[in-house]
Amino acid sequence: MSLAIETGGLGRDYGDVRALEGLDLEVAPGTVVGLLGPNGAGKTTAMLLLATLLSPSRGGARVFGHDVERERAAVRRRLGLLFQETSVDGLLTVEENLLFAARLAGLAGRPARAAVSDTIQRIGLGSRAQQAARELSGGWRRLLDIARATLHRPDLLILDEPTVGLDPEHRDTIWSLLDAERRGHGTTVFFSTHYLTEAEPADRVVLLARGRVVANGIPAELRGELGEEMAEIEGDGAERLASALRGLGSARVVLRTGRGLRVGISGERHAVVELAGQAPGIDRFALRPTSLEDVYFARTRQATA
Amino acid sequence: MSRWSAVHGIVARDLTRSTRQTSRLLGGVARPFMWLLLVGTGYNAIATLDSGLPYRAFVFPGIVVMAALFGGTLTAIATVYDREFGMLRLMLASPAGVWAVLAGRAIAATLVGVFQGGIVLAFAPLVLEVTPARWLAGLVALVAVSAMSAVLGLLVAVRIRSVENFAGIINVVLFPLLFLSGALYPTAGMPGALRPLARANPVTAAVDLLRHALGQPAEIETSTAAGVVVGVTVLAFLLAAGLFDPEKRFFPRRPPGSAPVTPP
Repeated sequence: MSLAIETGGLGRDYGDVRALEGLDLEVAPGTVVGLLGPNGAGKTTAMLLLATLLSPSRGGARVFGHDVERERAAVRRRLGLLFQETSVDGLLTVEENLLFAARLAGLAGRPARAAVSDTIQRIGLGSRAQQAARELSGGWRRLLDIARATLHRPDLLILDEPTVGLDPEHRDTIWSLLDAERRGHGTTVFFSTHYLTEAEPADRVVLLARGRVVANGIPAELRGELGEEMAEIEGDGAERLASALRGLGSARVVLRTGRGLRVGISGERHAVVELAGQAPGIDRFALRPTSLEDVYFARTRQATA
Repeated sequence: MSRWSAVHGIVARDLTRSTRQTSRLLGGVARPFMWLLLVGTGYNAIATLDSGLPYRAFVFPGIVVMAALFGGTLTAIATVYDREFGMLRLMLASPAGVWAVLAGRAIAATLVGVFQGGIVLAFAPLVLEVTPARWLAGLVALVAVSAMSAVLGLLVAVRIRSVENFAGIINVVLFPLLFLSGALYPTAGMPGALRPLARANPVTAAVDLLRHALGQPAEIETSTAAGVVVGVTVLAFLLAAGLFDPEKRFFPRRPPGSAPVTPP
């Protein structure tokens, strides 16, 4: 069976700006993969390349075995796309927007209307079906976007920051819907986000910085490389404590943030807490499980240093 | 099949949008009648034409063309708005591809032009003597003129990155096309420097095509006028499709990779 996404040295320049250096990626069908990275890291460029909306400057990519440059129509038939900005027509009703999307996807007549009706029920847009899209709140507009992207039951969803700017309730709804798509239809989900907690449940995350892949792996493994726990240390004595932790052999990595240090800890938790309790000049010390945010800090800081 | 569905979807959407933009639709219908009433009636008393036609009858085909030109072109230029609000990217990402997108938009814009011009044409008996056959011929000519207007609008849209409002387009593109044609006055009476421009202007051929259809004398032969209108339509569509580089449409101001890297 073909991979959902397969790229080799996929890169893109805009004049002198190298937006994406070279992306090597393999995404198995039915998996959820998060694309993370700072603004300008190349996430949107990577997604537009995979969506056949940009041509690569180097390298290549295949979607379910179809070349993104030579077999654009075949690739597009397998895709559902969600862009950063909502793509709904404010002058049309919810139902009309979906009918428009169905026709764009190649559905006509009764199958198109059936797909619209099913989608309205599935996404829970029934009470708003006849409402003009411009009257919807940002959250409902985004749900309409999700409805549009999933209406034709694509095999691969490419979602550029699907929950940006939404309240927790709408974010939860959207992830529940996407999860249902994946479980019910084996849909592959390739998404970007700045909400790193949303990427924690992903099967795999790819971290980009300055157009380069700086991490690619299973979230738990990437977190594990930093240590079992992360110590957040603030105060004048933070550096001294970090050195002491290194001496103890517990510090796996030391990250500098705007507020102090984060030290990845492994081994004797008790000894670490004791040492911190005795250390002078510490305003705040906290131990917590390592997160993807720590991975993000560690890898993007290395890449931009 | 997917191409036709996409074309159908784009046409249906554009027509629905047009009916909901009431002020623009009413403005498009009212504008030619204002011209017919103010310019047509005003000049009718003072203008003497070689053809012997009353000025109001002479200007009527030009006003029909004006209605179709504005309706068709402005609907097609709405592509620029679609670009700004992400709808164009959505359309181009469909399996149907760029040709279906442009064809759908051109058909919708043509229908809007036919609607706006057709309303004016319906009042022809009030201004000139017209048989049902002439009326029908006028309608056929109007379809051709509207199609030309639509693809000219597409051609303008593919190279415009943003439209603050349509007034600029009307002033810079549509009024010069209209005034430099035989719509409001015979091109033969224009200053020598402007006459070649008027002859090269496809709107002149469009007006003369409608004049022939309505049984009026015209400066350009029927076959030539029809050839110019159809030829310009086909060429402009091919040119628009060629110039329509989707990549440049998505990032009008800066590429996504050019933003500064911000620390998290």
